[in-house]
Amino acid sequence: MRNTWIIIQRELKERLRTSSFWGLAVFGPVVLMLLVFLLFHFGESQKPKWKILVTDPAMILENRIMLTDSEQFEFDFLNNYLELDDFLKGKRYQAYDGMLEINEKVLSNKIAYFFYKEKPPLKIQTKLHYLLEKRLEEVYVAELTDLSLGKYREIKQPVNLAFRNVFDPKEQKSDLTSWVGWIFGAMILFFIFVFGMTILRSITIEKSNRIVEVLLATVRPRQLMLGKIIGIGMTAIIQLAIWIFLIAIGMYIFRESFFQTAGEQALSGSLSADSGMKNIFGYNSWLEYNQFVELVFERINFSVMLTWFGLFLVLGYLFYGTFFASLGAMMGTESDGQQYVVLIISILFFALLSGYITIIYPESSLIKWLAYIPFTSPVVCMVKISQGYSVNEIYQLFLSITILILSIAGGLFFAGNRYKKGILRFGHRLHLKDFFGK
Amino acid sequence: MITLEGVSKSFQQKIAVHDVSFSLEKGKILGLLGPNGAGKTTIIRMMNRIFVPDKGSIFFNGELLNQKHLRHIGYLPEERGLYKTMTVWEHIKLIGQLRGLSKEDITSNYKFWEEKFDISSWKSKRIEELSKGMAQKVQFICTIIHQPDVLILDEPFSGFDPVNIELIQNEIKAMKDKGKTILLSSHNMKSVEELCDKVVLINQSKKVLEGNVYDLRSQKGEDIYAIRFRGNMIAFVNALWIGFELVGKEELSSDTTVAYVKMRNESTFEDLLRTLLGQVEIEAAWKVLTSMQEIFIQEVAKK
Repeated sequence: MRNTWIIIQRELKERLRTSSFWGLAVFGPVVLMLLVFLLFHFGESQKPKWKILVTDPAMILENRIMLTDSEQFEFDFLNNYLELDDFLKGKRYQAYDGMLEINEKVLSNKIAYFFYKEKPPLKIQTKLHYLLEKRLEEVYVAELTDLSLGKYREIKQPVNLAFRNVFDPKEQKSDLTSWVGWIFGAMILFFIFVFGMTILRSITIEKSNRIVEVLLATVRPRQLMLGKIIGIGMTAIIQLAIWIFLIAIGMYIFRESFFQTAGEQALSGSLSADSGMKNIFGYNSWLEYNQFVELVFERINFSVMLTWFGLFLVLGYLFYGTFFASLGAMMGTESDGQQYVVLIISILFFALLSGYITIIYPESSLIKWLAYIPFTSPVVCMVKISQGYSVNEIYQLFLSITILILSIAGGLFFAGNRYKKGILRFGHRLHLKDFFGK
Repeated sequence: MITLEGVSKSFQQKIAVHDVSFSLEKGKILGLLGPNGAGKTTIIRMMNRIFVPDKGSIFFNGELLNQKHLRHIGYLPEERGLYKTMTVWEHIKLIGQLRGLSKEDITSNYKFWEEKFDISSWKSKRIEELSKGMAQKVQFICTIIHQPDVLILDEPFSGFDPVNIELIQNEIKAMKDKGKTILLSSHNMKSVEELCDKVVLINQSKKVLEGNVYDLRSQKGEDIYAIRFRGNMIAFVNALWIGFELVGKEELSSDTTVAYVKMRNESTFEDLLRTLLGQVEIEAAWKVLTSMQEIFIQEVAKK
């Protein structure tokens, strides 16, 4: 055990002192948060106000769209047709960012055109669409029905057939939270792959520079392998902890500044979720945007998810790590055995797919089995945790963990033998029979 | 100190070592010789428990060799390996810790070797910054940092220049004088002749020869003596009777020569000296031993 600990320390120090480790640990999350910020920041309109000319020869809109002033739009009305060429070249129209053309039959054909000089961002498109729709509804109700506007909107609403689980009528296990579990599962696989490859490379380097023979004269192969897997795994945990810490800070900053505004807008009513508007083009994007903010800041139980994430990451890494270690030990050269790496990647991909299937068919018997299979259980269980285990099902989670732990023990035994067998073989071509031969 | 009894090892279909037995005696240097691929490295790996024998046993001080005995063994493998990104000190510390030394012991032992090899300026250098010879020295220190009772050195002189070969040879001799037991595997037969008390020759996975170096060298080959003398070479040749044959000569100066004489019939060294006395001025005379190189080639060629 003492020697394993010495190997762990060496592996840990070896990686902690590299600039690439700290580069990835610190700049990784910073770049990630920066990208998120840029995505949302540049998704916003760069123009403080969009000046729009509304051509409405039939005066259907009666020279108004909104009752109150908007910070984002300024509308001018022209009760004539205007040729596009004139709009483009006419001096008096140069100040306009776009022209909204309301034809005489708009109430029946429901078609209007917006001609822009610079394409408005999705958010602006959505809002303009929404405002026009609301105004046309007012006109439609006033001119063509005897109904009140409220009544009309009530009637106009399409039937919303919501599918609800009888055990989860409030839809706490929504697809959205399932995706959160899947993302956590995907992160587990990402770390398994990245650090599994680190194990593989580290072993092949030790083989190629022959230090392994010196080590094996004092350390048992199994101790050496375990030390390496744990040492590199601890590096992964340190890196992950830094990531979580920095991302948490970034999210706090976002919440206090950027997303607060977005959240307020969503709740202010100007774009509140009106079910009648859900089918309008582009609206869902805005809705999803707000759902994302709500999901990240309100609905994810980070303490629970991170706890299970940490557990499945450690167990999944140890399980897969044994395969990477034995593969590294069996390889004859650094370039040998690439086809087996592809096999491991395929298994990881299948695990990812299993998580996706869990979202779609959470109750299928296939998923129950995949939750018990150690290759797929880290992802499937993360999705199921995010969906929530009922009291009657909780045994399934602990059974999955137990099977995973037993598989790690079996994997360590198997990989230890393969490691011992392969670590001092050099320059050969790796064959599948090497894994199972005596 | 270490005894191998009927040790065999196979890898899949290939027999690497077959029924090999020998003993490494305390305070002696044993040369393990053999051509490439004979099975020497497999034997050495079994002595370090890197491999376990399929048959036979290895004993350390009478006990079956186990993990705890490895702390008493220092192993310098033929294929040298160091962590290139670690510093000299970090590397030595790592190996010392794995060998069970405390940090204080590692520090004091390192200090001793640092002074001995005059390498104090290397301590914080990374291995990749060292030349091959420097790296070899670090490797040698790693092997002996824990002051082992038994040293197993596989090709310890490879990569060293003649000055450093001499340095390492002297260290090996000094360790022997301190009572350390040493196994030396080398293709450098000069070093084997100079250092080893006993040799074991392995060929095609079997032991083909074992014995004391002097005995082997004197028993193997022909009965030839060298005579260094002052005087006329013709007088020397004339003095030789039918019981002797001149097989070679070396002129050291205008009047000093070394002549190599082969004994014939029942002639002895004393007969030779008696024959030459009064004919030439004898300065020295000695038996010409067969070189280990010749013995090696003879034995390997037999198979």
